[in-house]
Amino acid sequence: MIQIYLPIAEISVNLLVMLGLGATVGFLSGMFGVGGGFLLTPLLMLSGIPPAIAVATGANQIVGTSVSGTMAQWRRGNVDLRMGFVLIVGGVVGAIAGIILLKILRELGQAGLMISLTYVAFLGTIGALMLWESVNAIRRARAGKPLSARRSGQHNWIHGLPFKMRFPRSRLYISAIPPLVIGAVVGLLASFLGVGGGFIMVPALIYLLRMPTNVVIGTSIFQIIFITAIVTLLHATFNYTLDILLAFLLIIGGVIGGQFGVRAGQKLRGEQLRALLALMVLLVALRILFDLVLTPSDLFSIVPVAGL
Amino acid sequence: MMMRSTIIGLAAVFLAASMTPALAQKTAPTEEPASQEQVQSDVSMREIAIQSNFTGVEILIFGSVDFSDSRTPGEGTYDVIAVVRGPDEPIVVRKKKRVAGIWVNGPGKTYGDVPGFYAVLSTRPVRAIASDEALHELGIGLIDLDFGRGTASSTPEQAYRSAMIRLKKEQQLFQEHDDGVTFIGRSLFRGTVALPVNVPTGRYTVDVYLFRDGEVASNSQGSLMVTKAGIEEILYDLAFKYPFVYGLLGVFIAVMCGLAGWFAFRRN
Repeated sequence: MIQIYLPIAEISVNLLVMLGLGATVGFLSGMFGVGGGFLLTPLLMLSGIPPAIAVATGANQIVGTSVSGTMAQWRRGNVDLRMGFVLIVGGVVGAIAGIILLKILRELGQAGLMISLTYVAFLGTIGALMLWESVNAIRRARAGKPLSARRSGQHNWIHGLPFKMRFPRSRLYISAIPPLVIGAVVGLLASFLGVGGGFIMVPALIYLLRMPTNVVIGTSIFQIIFITAIVTLLHATFNYTLDILLAFLLIIGGVIGGQFGVRAGQKLRGEQLRALLALMVLLVALRILFDLVLTPSDLFSIVPVAGL
Repeated sequence: MMMRSTIIGLAAVFLAASMTPALAQKTAPTEEPASQEQVQSDVSMREIAIQSNFTGVEILIFGSVDFSDSRTPGEGTYDVIAVVRGPDEPIVVRKKKRVAGIWVNGPGKTYGDVPGFYAVLSTRPVRAIASDEALHELGIGLIDLDFGRGTASSTPEQAYRSAMIRLKKEQQLFQEHDDGVTFIGRSLFRGTVALPVNVPTGRYTVDVYLFRDGEVASNSQGSLMVTKAGIEEILYDLAFKYPFVYGLLGVFIAVMCGLAGWFAFRRN
């Protein structure tokens, strides 16, 4: 029982619990190749960290884990720098919008509720879609049918948009507007929810832009470094909600846990991995939803005006 | 464990020193010239430093009655009420209501001056010691506390006010201890108050009132300072004075940890 006092959250937490939390989320994110913010931020809130501090500190933790992840992807040549840059430009705009939105909601006392509702909506949708897709893939594999090939190169409405750019690494020649919009949406989510946004970014790049999957993973995790770094800076500067000490504990746990997670993930098949991740995402969504629907033990809450 | 021995040690020191009035901080002259007794008091720690191992702290409030008319400790000639009060801050109280099956915060009520910490320690229930008017005048007790703007006496408002008091009590930030002060001898008294881990920083006042026959015979005021220290202080100051630099530091630490992790594990 080693207690450590957090200077910004102004509560005392168990050192081992926080290291363990970082390691668990790191393990899962390494295993599934996701940032893990969507698990970390709600878990921090459940362990008594005020929502706004959980969001800012969660973003800071993702900077650390995504640097490790990007290094590995970079060496395999899986990062499309040009696409990453366009996504980051969109992301900055989205992140600023998210910070302003969060500030307004906090003043109205609705920040916690809106964060929870957004989590439920996004995690519920993504989890359900992923589960559906992976269960079908497992069934097809069991039945011995070949997996349907990705319809690459097929044109859709996105190819009719102006401001076309060439992305040689991704072998794409498309308008800059969709990546900018995707970047902005992810930036908004990152600053509002304290997530990296990989769970939106990856499907969007694969299904909307039709980027090759390996480049998608590398590029997504690369731009997440910058988005979460900017989100961290914005939260620290305008909301004073970053707790460096807490972030440090989570990163230490996360970086170590992540390495073991990657190895564990290599032993599982892709579809099974996706199905597991989908179940986890759905569980988190349900847990948050229950908190919103169940009658709270205390209807009243108090909060300092200056703080959260 | 260490805390306890510190208190015992300090208790021994003050027992020896209680005869010397120099230790007391400030003594107000008695209001009734007829009675001679005067109260002197102090706290075991005038500076409380919140460091990374901080989990709360127990402070000792002690004092003595000079020129006491009391012959035995149990005589009950005197009563003591000690009020520890932390810096005021504005607080919003909100009540959840159900909207489309989901619990949503309703509009909040703001109180301008809510003490960040407030504890009343007394030898007996305060209402048995003095009249409601006397307590009200001195601002002793949560019922009589003035929380500044937003304070009205309408019934719905009362629910918010009592909810705030209840929540603050649950967080140990409001405390009332009816038997918190005990007389040790005919003039010596002591009481302990536990500051929880979430105590706000700032200057605290410690008011000690000596009551005789329901009237204040003498009072003494002291103070203590709660500050962050060490790494906690450095980070806190940086976060609020140079938030951008603090944010950069956070990002920098994260990037370094990420790189270190990658280098450490890449061979495997």
